[in-house]
Amino acid sequence: MTIPSTSSSGLRTIHNILMTAALGLLVFYLVVYVVYAINLIQFPFDYDQGEGFELVDTILFSQGEWPYRDTETFPFYSSNYPPLFHVIAAPFVSLFGPGYWYGRLLGFLGTLVTAGAISYAVYREERHRGIAILAGLAYLASNTIYHIGPLFRQHASMVLFETVAVILLAHVNEVSNPRRRRMQLALGLGLIIAGGYTKQLAAITAIAAGLFLFIRQPRRAIFWGMAAGIVGAGIFVWMNIATNGEWWRQAILANVNELKIVQTIALFKQWFGLHGFLIIPAVLMVIYEVYFTRISIYVIWFVVAVSINGAASGTWGGGDSYFSTAIAATCILSGIFAARTLRGRWIFPDNYLSRWFKPVFGGRGRSIVQASVIVIPLLYLGYGRAVLHMPTEGVVFKEIATLFGIQANAMNGFYDSARTQDGQYATGYANIGHLVTADDVAAGWRIADMIRDEDRPVISEDAGFSLAAEKTVITNPTQLLNLEKKGLYSGAELVRMIDEQAFGMIVLRAQFYPQVVLLAISRAYEQGETITMNGFNYLILYPKAT
Amino acid sequence: MVYFRLMFSNHFTFTKRQLGWLLLVGGIVVFVGIISIDLLDAGREGGIGPAQQLALAVSAGAALLGLTLIPLGDTPA
Repeated sequence: MTIPSTSSSGLRTIHNILMTAALGLLVFYLVVYVVYAINLIQFPFDYDQGEGFELVDTILFSQGEWPYRDTETFPFYSSNYPPLFHVIAAPFVSLFGPGYWYGRLLGFLGTLVTAGAISYAVYREERHRGIAILAGLAYLASNTIYHIGPLFRQHASMVLFETVAVILLAHVNEVSNPRRRRMQLALGLGLIIAGGYTKQLAAITAIAAGLFLFIRQPRRAIFWGMAAGIVGAGIFVWMNIATNGEWWRQAILANVNELKIVQTIALFKQWFGLHGFLIIPAVLMVIYEVYFTRISIYVIWFVVAVSINGAASGTWGGGDSYFSTAIAATCILSGIFAARTLRGRWIFPDNYLSRWFKPVFGGRGRSIVQASVIVIPLLYLGYGRAVLHMPTEGVVFKEIATLFGIQANAMNGFYDSARTQDGQYATGYANIGHLVTADDVAAGWRIADMIRDEDRPVISEDAGFSLAAEKTVITNPTQLLNLEKKGLYSGAELVRMIDEQAFGMIVLRAQFYPQVVLLAISRAYEQGETITMNGFNYLILYPKAT
Repeated sequence: MVYFRLMFSNHFTFTKRQLGWLLLVGGIVVFVGIISIDLLDAGREGGIGPAQQLALAVSAGAALLGLTLIPLGDTPA
């Protein structure tokens, strides 16, 4: 860890102690993350709502079939997600059969690679190893990244593609070798396309990269933008033709959802509350680049990700995970800010702004740099305190929780600083992050066994139970709901089958079905029992006696 | 025409001033456009919704940002 040579040995000692403490705290979160990942990877059922349907998509791809289907005919299933993450996971289905572990492992490993890429980006700019490591660990320590990383979901992989693409493009204009520059551009833009075909939200990274290239050299931006557009659009058209238009209907039309501004504001507040210690230096970096030096792709990426994805977090189906890209950008920019401050490498060229503040700060540069020796590690310590999350039960964790007076405020003995002490959290924040227990596994198998014993088909709001019971997965409830909200769903055939009690059992969790389906269920089925798994109540419904 | 030829040359890069003008003009055009939707589409109910309010704030912010960039002159953006 390098500190300014002008600093006294006392300052140097304090700096080293604080940096070590910050590193220790963020490494602790890495340990918590690994424990959580190992725990989830072994869990054989849905943990986050909708994971099972991503597994169904993966199974379909492994069989050479598309998951974008007509939802009006049996088994009323379709996906609304792009294919790449599931295509990557598909070979595992052939090797190991249906299972959650490989999708969760891929997501988890993806976040580790993203953290490594963030560290590399920070190190490449300022050559400060300590801050580079802290920046990468800060990404993994975020409450949002922690709880979505090891899920069978595409979001973390999308952020991986986006982050690596942005890092590849960051200095592409300075590459003097034309062949190498073209290769780097092609790879960077190719990764953005890969990100977009992992999850639609990566479109913001395409916007950021396009703006960056356009500001630096419009000719290059237009040529490469057209090339990337042709490739991306070509894949799009091919998929649409291959799925008889269902790709457009299911993944695009049904995915444009209403904005709930209250949720957006709540999630913005929460994002700032958790990541504020890094957001402030990132914003200072934005101001610096806009007014005193060239604007980097990181700054444009940060601004676009925060504004567009942040606003979109308030949509139905959105949530705190929509801030993941912004969190990656925040970690890079705040890392560069921190390292540059410790290096004392700020340069303020003469302009109307520097003429204004130079009389105020001029001559105090050395004092500011010396203060930063204390302030910078404190920023990471403050961040570490703000994102506090850990199990409060189990080996070592219980002792730590007792020592620091940390009491659980989430399920299964878990503390999450994103929640109030009585467990309240912002609308749209994912109610996950806790570890699962042996009781949860037993409860899951109980539901799966009930489905297996049923002769008739079964509708389950979580696909995992049907998959474990080796039964056909019927419907993707949230997708039916998406379609209904856009006026694209009738449900006549499904409602007819429910009215005729064609299903032996229905398992409900959040009841995220279209109204027409819920009404049919209430007409023809009645609740038999409730089984609690993973903190959620699963309602087991049977046909009403006629 | 000469300007466009220059802009699409191999060596062109935007200056802070040019970027400032782009943001200022673009921000004003988008702001006026959003307001015009409501004025022209008088029969529509509900007024300016939350998404429009966000877009208005962003476009106004872009115009203001552009204004502060113009005095920075020919330094590359």
